[in-house]
Amino acid sequence: MFKTATKIGITSLLRRRTRSALLILMIAVSLWGLLFIEGIYDGMTEQMIANAIRSDSGHISIFADGYRLNPDLSRWIENTIELDEFLNERQQIKSTVARLKQDGLVATAHYSRGIAILGIDLEREANHSHLEGYLRHGELNFGERQRGAIIGFKLAKKLKVAIGNKIILSAQNSAGEMASTALKVKGIIKTHNMAFDENAVFIAAAKARELLSMPTGISQIAISIANEGEIASLQQQLQEEFPNLTIKRWDELYPALQQSRVLMAGFKQVINIIIFSIAALGIFGVMLVSVLERMREFGIMLAIGTKFSQIGIIILVEASILGCAGFGLGALAGFSTLYYFKIYGLDLSVFSSALDEFGLDAITYAIIRPDYFFTALAAIILASVFSIIIPLRILKKTKPVDAINAI
Amino acid sequence: MSDFLKIQQINKTFQPDKEVRIEALQDINLEIEAGDFVVISGPSGSGKTTLLNIVGGLENATGGTVILDGQNVTGLAEKELSHLRRNHIGFIFQAYNLIPVLNVRENIEFIMKLQGTTQRACDQGVEEIAKKLHIDDLLKKLPHQLSGGQQQRVAVARAVAAEPKLILADEPTANLDSQNAATLMDMLEHLNQHEGITIIFSSHDPMVIERAKHSIVLKDGKVVSNERFN
Ligand SMILES: Nc1ncnc2c1ncn2[C@@H]1O[C@H](COP(=O)(O)OP(=O)(O)O)[C@@H](O)[C@H]1O
Ligand SMILES: [Mg+2]
Repeated sequence: MFKTATKIGITSLLRRRTRSALLILMIAVSLWGLLFIEGIYDGMTEQMIANAIRSDSGHISIFADGYRLNPDLSRWIENTIELDEFLNERQQIKSTVARLKQDGLVATAHYSRGIAILGIDLEREANHSHLEGYLRHGELNFGERQRGAIIGFKLAKKLKVAIGNKIILSAQNSAGEMASTALKVKGIIKTHNMAFDENAVFIAAAKARELLSMPTGISQIAISIANEGEIASLQQQLQEEFPNLTIKRWDELYPALQQSRVLMAGFKQVINIIIFSIAALGIFGVMLVSVLERMREFGIMLAIGTKFSQIGIIILVEASILGCAGFGLGALAGFSTLYYFKIYGLDLSVFSSALDEFGLDAITYAIIRPDYFFTALAAIILASVFSIIIPLRILKKTKPVDAINAI
Repeated sequence: MSDFLKIQQINKTFQPDKEVRIEALQDINLEIEAGDFVVISGPSGSGKTTLLNIVGGLENATGGTVILDGQNVTGLAEKELSHLRRNHIGFIFQAYNLIPVLNVRENIEFIMKLQGTTQRACDQGVEEIAKKLHIDDLLKKLPHQLSGGQQQRVAVARAVAAEPKLILADEPTANLDSQNAATLMDMLEHLNQHEGITIIFSSHDPMVIERAKHSIVLKDGKVVSNERFN
């Protein structure tokens, strides 16, 4: 019976070719567009998150208690021996970096500006934040005498400096006195994290210790782990082991980014409701007309003893063919488009300045998740089922004899 | 003698709106034997279609009972009626009997599939019926590619495929020329004589009416004549 139903469905749809094709196309095009939005939006969100994790927070960041509220030199993590030991033992940890941070001032002959001085260890950063990927000009090297500095491209623009130019860095040291040092710009980076592109100067850790008179201590340790699922448990372990330290996950440090993910989840539901509505309304329209046109055909079927449920199957199969064909076409188009943008990226550099504000790259790489397709398919199948309720009720109310007589 | 079909005190009133009452059938009493070949004739509007529909379980009577092979048809729910029509009654309507998107073979198979017949048995059944009714060359055609006469022959084939006890045919020749009408009657006669299927058909064509073994004439919803020829 199912085979016959399919045969009746396909043939009936082919008889109403233009109408069926238009509906299939309508479902396909809307699905295509919505899949595109989903994949690109996810790509953007994940890129922002990845940038924040890479350039700053890692998956987990460790601070001394009170540092985040009042980040001054007296609130650095003093003793890191036990912490280092603990972190070294954890297999799931991919990399850790220690950063020394202090607010300061950068100045050139023409201009000065408040920034964060970040003392880093380039070798360790290489494994963690892959700064080389962010490098736009110059090199990632502080020089033999550690007199080099790496700055963000926006700051470079503001200071009107290029590779090799001199900048003066000053900050309050641990004794409460202003200390200064002259450095040469060795590299210019673009991280898409505003905090770094515009408001930070990276210098060698040793140089920072010298400038700030801080022979020991660390302001932040950022940890990256292999499996994101273990972030929360590692945070808990760390907190239990080191109750006097502040242990924060990336999403606690960048709540806006986490919200963006949550927002996306809600947005996806809206997308699926849109797909459902388009499919349900479209299929409903076509099936209603189709049933009304074929009253006599269904009347004959019922008269010769076809069960109403079997008529229901015939109509459902027909509606599902429409829905599934629309899904298949739309999913194929959507997948191909997203696959292209996953590989080559979507170049939004026209909006580059606006994107920078949001911590976005000019090139967005799409993300393709199987659930885009599964949920859309579920929405469309559900729509097919919903769309035939009214046509079936009309048919149920009509007696076979009346249907046969109605030509 | 035990009657195959007993129609007792059947009444049917249509009430299209409050003021209008149409007494389509009034106190119909009929007995039809198994293997009978019955024509119901009478002018247009005399109640032929209504009577056939009530016998076939397509329409409810306002009063009275129809007993088919010992089963009270008038008391059945729609589900049971559907079962009855599917398994025990073959229908041939005046025109447009066939499912337009299915070819002849599939149309004949359709009812067998409804009965749960396997594909192999369907194939075998279709071949057999097609040969018997001389429509084997039409099997691959779609209904719209057939003439009216051919369509009605296929409708007969589909009715037979259900292996019914009773075939009801409402003016099966009304849309056919006399040549095709004669062929269709030959077919029905053959099924009646050789397969022993009870057939009740309606008509107002004298050429067709005279072929029956049992003639019932309706007028204004009443039986005005009921004769058996031997
Ligand atoms: N569904 C219906 N609603 C109202 N009146 C009907 C309906 N069906 C039949 N009738 C009336 O019942 C009478 C008998 O009709 P019918 O059985 O079709 O006659 P016949 O088949 O002999 O031409 C007619 O007067 C017809 O108008
Ligand atoms: Mg009639």
